[in-house]
Amino acid sequence: MTDAASGSPTIGAPAPTLRTQLRALLEADLLVQLRNLRAVALSTILPLVLLFGTFAGRRAQILGDPRFKVASCMMLGMATIAILGYSMGVARDRDAGVFQRLRVTPTPGWAIMASRLAIQVLAILVMAAVVLVAATAFESVTLDAGGYVLTLLAVVFAAAMFLSIGQALVGLIRSTDTLNAVSRLAYIPLFALGLLGHTDILGTNLETIARWSPGGVVSTMLGGAMSPTTWNGETWTAVLVALAYAVVFAGAGIRWFRWTAS
Amino acid sequence: MSGPDSDPRGELALAVADLQVSYGQKRAVDGVSLEIEDGEIFGLLGPNGAGKTTTLSAIEGLLRPDAGTIEVQGVDARANPLRARAMVGVQLQSTGFQAALTILEIVKLYAGLYGLARSRSELLEALDGVGLADEASRRFAQLSGGQQKRLSLLIATIHDPVLVLLDEPTAGLDPQARRQLWNRIGRIRQRGRSILLTTHSMEEAQAVCDRVAILDHGRILAVDTPAGLIEKHRDDPRVVGVAHGEVTLDDVFIGLTGQDYRD
Repeated sequence: MTDAASGSPTIGAPAPTLRTQLRALLEADLLVQLRNLRAVALSTILPLVLLFGTFAGRRAQILGDPRFKVASCMMLGMATIAILGYSMGVARDRDAGVFQRLRVTPTPGWAIMASRLAIQVLAILVMAAVVLVAATAFESVTLDAGGYVLTLLAVVFAAAMFLSIGQALVGLIRSTDTLNAVSRLAYIPLFALGLLGHTDILGTNLETIARWSPGGVVSTMLGGAMSPTTWNGETWTAVLVALAYAVVFAGAGIRWFRWTAS
Repeated sequence: MSGPDSDPRGELALAVADLQVSYGQKRAVDGVSLEIEDGEIFGLLGPNGAGKTTTLSAIEGLLRPDAGTIEVQGVDARANPLRARAMVGVQLQSTGFQAALTILEIVKLYAGLYGLARSRSELLEALDGVGLADEASRRFAQLSGGQQKRLSLLIATIHDPVLVLLDEPTAGLDPQARRQLWNRIGRIRQRGRSILLTTHSMEEAQAVCDRVAILDHGRILAVDTPAGLIEKHRDDPRVVGVAHGEVTLDDVFIGLTGQDYRD
């Protein structure tokens, strides 16, 4: 390609715009997410198994308010997607040099990560919708229109917090093997504390700890969102605590994140 | 950003001055300066750990230099990294792409990142140009080493950059694949584009490079055409001491950088 007047080379590509770059990234990340069938199945089936399990027999009485059981199921799905799915996916791509290749293009680093996070939020929203539909269809947990809207907003907010924890893990831990082990260890208490946040079966002290753990505040937030008339001061406090967790974990995850494994 | 409004004429494709890069206390690149003209193929030769890849990484924007300037077609790459990267194509020494994507989807992704909206038929045509149209629905890991290198080169040049950076582009390839890649490199130059490549192969340096620099311990020891380097160092005692018969570029390289093992 040459400039006819001067014979000098002209530059072939038009200026890349952020819009075209984000579109390309989102399309690729969505394809990757859809093709990761194991992750899709895990993040959807596990919450459904828990949903049917917690509503069955005597456990239905022990774990209290049905809304909190549904919230716990969604929390399990979020933790699975953010802690096991997102952080491990980033670590594997970091090992494979995928980020290094993307970074030598004229794409801002934040856009590369924002696209991935957006797809994870979408996956979490789909999971939450599946759980809500199942809860309505099989367990007769119904919400009013405002409740559904508020719940999905709370899911987005909670997703940001869980993804920030995933980001912190992959930011602080460079080795994929170590991350795999640590994220599995972190995943269980994160979810279990959330589940116990609204029951005193292990005592009031543990209940208090559980209530203000990341999982606990998400459970409170979702419970409030599913029944807007019960939204109160504690729910607002849970929102603020979740925000604080998100800021702290995201800050650590971004500050110490390395694009390469070496 | 590069495009019809820019006026690159009269600028060097790449100008690097007094580049310094450290890893902790270790100075990996120590005052490297080089200039590459439009349409020139410039080779960086050096033993392992000489600073070749680090120099390239700094130019690519993957590493933050301690000091020095980097200009791509007159654009300050340190002050405007995204603008500079839009004019540069990169083939990394080891390339990774998303394992779940097909070859066609990978090319589409990178075309989009350079602002190019390509139809499926255009993407297939581009793949056909590097003999990969039949592999369009396969994954990167399923390609042979030579096919992977061809795909990497296609992606590096998909936006027709003014400068292409190739880090050991033919490492691990068989002679046929290497020769094909040299031909592709030659065709990039024919379009008036410039290339900076690193290599361990003196044969490659002589076959494709207009000029080469010998780099060791982060410093450039010599710069010239391959023939010029041989001529200049023909009587150098360090070179004569390692030559077996007529002095070759290999002898000049060993003579200047020594015979010790490198990590």
